[in-house]
Amino acid sequence: MSIFLAILTYFGYVFVVTMYTVKAVKYLRRPRHLRWDLYPVMHEERYRYGGSYYEDIGGAAGARKKHRLRGILFLLKEYVTMGEYFKRRKTYWLALYPWHVGFMLIIAFHIFTFFAAVVMLAGVPVSAGSPFAAGRIFYYVVLFMGVVSFASGIVGSIGVAVKRLTASDLRDYATPQNYFTYAFCLAVFLSGFYAWYFVDPTFSEYRQFWVGLITWKPIMVAPAATLHIVLFDLFLIYLPFTRSMHYITRIFAFLFIRWDDEPNLRGSRLESRLMSQLGQKVTWGAAHIKSGGTWADQVAEQNGGAP
Amino acid sequence: MKTRISVKNMAKPDRQLATLEPSELMPLPPPYDEPRPIGELSDEQKARYETSLDGVVAVGVRKPQSPAEEEAFCRSFLSGLKKLLTKENNWTFLQPLMHSLDYCVKCQLCSDSCPAYLASGKKEIYRPTFRPEVLRRIINKYLKKEGGLLRKLTGSDIELNFTLLARLEELAHRCTLCRRCAQVCPLGVDNALISREIRKLFSQEMGIAARELHELGTMQQLKVGSSTGITPKALANIIAFMEDDIEEKTGRRIKIPVDKEGADALLVHNAGEFLAWPENPEAFAILFDAMGIDWTLSSDLVGYDAVNYGIWYDDVQAARVAVRHAEAARRLKVKKIYVGECGHAHKALLVIADRILTGDLNIPRESFLPMMEQFVTSGKAKLDPSRNNFPVTLHDPCNMVRLMGVVEPQRKILRAVCPDFREMTPHGVENYCCGGGSGFAIMQSMNFPDWRNAVSGRMKMKQIIEAFADTPDPGVKKYVCAPCSNCKGLLRDLIVYHRAWEKSGIYYGGLVELVVNAMADMKKPYIDWEWH
Repeated sequence: MSIFLAILTYFGYVFVVTMYTVKAVKYLRRPRHLRWDLYPVMHEERYRYGGSYYEDIGGAAGARKKHRLRGILFLLKEYVTMGEYFKRRKTYWLALYPWHVGFMLIIAFHIFTFFAAVVMLAGVPVSAGSPFAAGRIFYYVVLFMGVVSFASGIVGSIGVAVKRLTASDLRDYATPQNYFTYAFCLAVFLSGFYAWYFVDPTFSEYRQFWVGLITWKPIMVAPAATLHIVLFDLFLIYLPFTRSMHYITRIFAFLFIRWDDEPNLRGSRLESRLMSQLGQKVTWGAAHIKSGGTWADQVAEQNGGAP
Repeated sequence: MKTRISVKNMAKPDRQLATLEPSELMPLPPPYDEPRPIGELSDEQKARYETSLDGVVAVGVRKPQSPAEEEAFCRSFLSGLKKLLTKENNWTFLQPLMHSLDYCVKCQLCSDSCPAYLASGKKEIYRPTFRPEVLRRIINKYLKKEGGLLRKLTGSDIELNFTLLARLEELAHRCTLCRRCAQVCPLGVDNALISREIRKLFSQEMGIAARELHELGTMQQLKVGSSTGITPKALANIIAFMEDDIEEKTGRRIKIPVDKEGADALLVHNAGEFLAWPENPEAFAILFDAMGIDWTLSSDLVGYDAVNYGIWYDDVQAARVAVRHAEAARRLKVKKIYVGECGHAHKALLVIADRILTGDLNIPRESFLPMMEQFVTSGKAKLDPSRNNFPVTLHDPCNMVRLMGVVEPQRKILRAVCPDFREMTPHGVENYCCGGGSGFAIMQSMNFPDWRNAVSGRMKMKQIIEAFADTPDPGVKKYVCAPCSNCKGLLRDLIVYHRAWEKSGIYYGGLVELVVNAMADMKKPYIDWEWH
């Protein structure tokens, strides 16, 4: 059983990371699209009112400073506050926010547990009474993240399900998969909470489990903890089949679509990339399009392709 | 009790999906609160076209005459849908499209940002997430070929038939592409883009598009030179008329340069201005003369009409028009192109075409606004703002403001020349569309103008009424400034439809007219407050 648990855990982590990476690479390798800016663009000087370099004479060609960090901070802030939901739909936010806090903290909980195990292997005991500050810090951080994650996730999972069921505009667009996901999440958070409360109140067993994973000497854990670990591993495997990548792709969408205001300057790398894309063949079937010709051929057609 | 409409209903031809009862529309304040019904279609129109979405026809998709024709229609749609999702055929928008298809969580945060949805009294079919969900389900079922259980799990059960597709094409023309919905999405999803891509699929694969955008729009523009039908010869006559008109108004003869090789700048106007509002290009000529700019117009095919309707429905047509604009500038050997008062032409030529024009076609292109702002605020212009001593509000064209970030220059100009300038609420990048965006302003199909005036333009009308709420007296003339031809066209229709001139003295016009009206050396007022 301990071997099975270890393999499943390794597989779960490798699978989710691989699938997310594949999806991210596929997303990013799509061709450079036509500009589709939407203002305000946070890296622009005039982001406060949504102004762009087009407000300046010769602005598109001039050198300009992009405040990338401001854009990143804006995106990170939204992770922490989910401010658009708070501003526009507070009752939904009340459910969504704890749900997402549950997700974020359960990931942080596992990352910190991993490092706590590494610290333990380095000879630093992790406990409330550890002689090392690192040991005490890891103890409390892991404890805090685990408990808050489970509690918040339980509230959130129930909350989003109830909200989806009771608000007609959400219910009408919900799929059975939505409800399956909520139930699955609830099972993960609930099993974690149960294991913590009744079996492993300081997560010491769970840290030992991670030590066993790292050293490849898997250990048995209590049935309640085993159930939680299995559910969480399965959840990791399930995640790539949901829309959960939006945690990452929203950053792509803002940076590479909404805020993509890079001008195409003569002789630039962007220009050569665009020229290569204009050389691709088009197979659209309408009468005004010369199917089989390249994009450049289409554009050269006089009279809009009319016979 | 009314039955709720769901995405599945789109494929069921049993009844019309939405009925636009005047009493259910978003209320307007008195005296604009009288209900006005949307015109009924004739029996012949109903027999010929698919009208069962909302009883309104924008595109007019003809009903098939046989099951074989319906099958071919559906096959053609699926063929186009496949192409829409490939990088060769859709490198232009594949990444933003796939993002919006894949990552919408249907939280409906965007719904209340859509003026058409709100103005309609929240009709479900106009919800920004409704039409993308239809497309998503078709993709899941017919392209990804999800099996029975998976299809049930992902809720992708939808029947593909003519009714569904024809309604979908019509529905793609109930969105003005203003992108307010995208602006509020924390996940970066853009449901307006999906409307545009649906239109594109129908146009580029099936040859179905709104007549005013395609046949009378881009096709006519590429063939005769302008979507208005103005030929180069007619342009010469119009320019002669404009020179006479300027002389009559100002007492000065100003030569409007045409095809001046080597000029510093080529100015391109929406050719609709020449026909409907010649005072606007005339005001440009007066101001450019006062500024001492070395400029020219072009009489080349397409070179004298800045419009590019392709950006609303067809990438190939958009690229063709943009290239013709750049070729006209290249032939004249100008250093730059200025775009006049046309919002979508700004976005088409400055933003969208930026990744189409390469090499020597990539000629610098600018809005006229920064240069005009510099002229007005530098003190070089002799201005007397008291000549504009009437209430003025500003409409922000979506294409120019939210979609390309030109927000302040027009405001600085108005603050300098209009002592009673007041903002609408909201404004700037959060503005509401005039209701004529994405081609609606020029689309005159059947009863579509009724829908446009009653629904898509309703929020703008409400904003205008509220902006002038402190002076309801029709004896006090008020000016809605819209630095965009298409927006002006829609404002004209809205003001007539709601009788706002008679009820409140509300008039509309461009920006440069206000600047010329404030010029101290003008012998008589430039703005004539006459309807045309």
